[in-house]
Amino acid sequence: MNTVEIPTLSLVASYALLIFPLGLMLWYRVPIIGQTVLAVVRMTVQLLFVGLYLQVVFDLNNFWLTAAWLIVMVAVADLSIARGSGMRLRYLIVPLFLAVFLGTAIPTSFFLGPILRRPHLLDAQYAIPIAGMILGNCLRADIIGLSSFYKSIHERQKAFHHALAQGASLMEATLPFLRDAFQSALAPTIATIATIGLVSLPGMMTGVILGGANPMTAIKYQIAIMLAILSGTAITVFLAIRMTMKSSFTAYGILDDRIFKV
Amino acid sequence: MSQPPAIQIDNLAIRYDGKTLLSDFSLRLESGQKVTLSGRSGSGKSTVLRCILGFVIPDEGAIYINGERLTGSSVWTLRQQIAYVAQEPLLGSGSVREILERPFTYRANAKKRENLSRIPELFDRFTLPGDLIHKNIELLSGGEKQRVAIISAELLDRRIFLLDEASSALDRISKQAVNEFFCDRRDLSVLSVSHEPEQFFCTDRIFELSPGSGGDVR
Repeated sequence: MNTVEIPTLSLVASYALLIFPLGLMLWYRVPIIGQTVLAVVRMTVQLLFVGLYLQVVFDLNNFWLTAAWLIVMVAVADLSIARGSGMRLRYLIVPLFLAVFLGTAIPTSFFLGPILRRPHLLDAQYAIPIAGMILGNCLRADIIGLSSFYKSIHERQKAFHHALAQGASLMEATLPFLRDAFQSALAPTIATIATIGLVSLPGMMTGVILGGANPMTAIKYQIAIMLAILSGTAITVFLAIRMTMKSSFTAYGILDDRIFKV
Repeated sequence: MSQPPAIQIDNLAIRYDGKTLLSDFSLRLESGQKVTLSGRSGSGKSTVLRCILGFVIPDEGAIYINGERLTGSSVWTLRQQIAYVAQEPLLGSGSVREILERPFTYRANAKKRENLSRIPELFDRFTLPGDLIHKNIELLSGGEKQRVAIISAELLDRRIFLLDEASSALDRISKQAVNEFFCDRRDLSVLSVSHEPEQFFCTDRIFELSPGSGGDVR
């Protein structure tokens, strides 16, 4: 790899680019200057910490340390999904953790095994960024999928009860809502796949090119990661809905309204 | 051995937001009987029907359908014996044919699919024109939807009918057709709720409910 190193002083100089957004905010009195400065500081501190930690994780390249880091990533995603979907954590945390874990672990293992043919499945340098990309997309998809599923059942309760009254099982009565939620959750990923490369160069491809690889290698990585993301989002949305149903409906098949934050 | 009552409600109590909607309410609907619950809005009539379907869980009391107690595990088979027809039936989306066929895609009703051959006869009985079958359900009048809901229940071989103001949107001729259907069918048990006495179908007994009240229908 022949990545061009950014000297520390040059990185500090890159903060000069803030002159434009902050200057415009000041000039037009847009009241988000404090928020913007705070966000930039947070980003810098967070990335410095992650950079230092990842350096240690990559250097040690220890199976258990990498696995522990991946589990922390899944747990953080689990909390973000519960918050983002407007639902109470205690009803979701365990089934959601399993759904997100499987949705990330299955495509990541496939990517690292049959595609990249890494000798160690949890090779830190590959496992962490690839799982992170898949997880980030799973997180967005799960928030859309879960909130769409439960809110539409809540809003269209009469239609849902009508199906139950006609003899539908809980799985049968929730099927139309699952279909709609699945479609809404996967739509952004499918739209991204359909326009990738035309609108902008995707993140992974850019990273591989900046890392010194030729464009064809970068494209192969990008195609594989997009397929892994689509697979991961589909697995996690389906599992997140089906696995959270047990704690979200009563034995009578009624949606337990306590799952929603008031 | 004597047949168990189609519906038996023992000492039902329902509280909502700290207020008592029903207290110590009991009812016994024998097989083939027609009973009407009457009362003003808010007296808890519709809530009783929703309890029988397991959509509202009472704070106290027990409900039995054909002798079997309604619980979280029995509700799934007991619902298959009951038909619920609402004042404004929400039948889903699609054509009338799709609406009538949809319940047969559920595993519990799959074996009764041949009953769909009765559609022309039932349309005739309920004074619905044959070409209505191709119409989108959303284009139907309230009265037509109510009759489609009753036909759907009949196709599913339901023997216990819960009618929630189910004739409110019917004109005189169709009301008569619906009335005759329930009067002729001595095998059907009907619990209807209505706030207008003239809407009752061949009722054996009328029971007046008032808000927060209890009482017995025996």
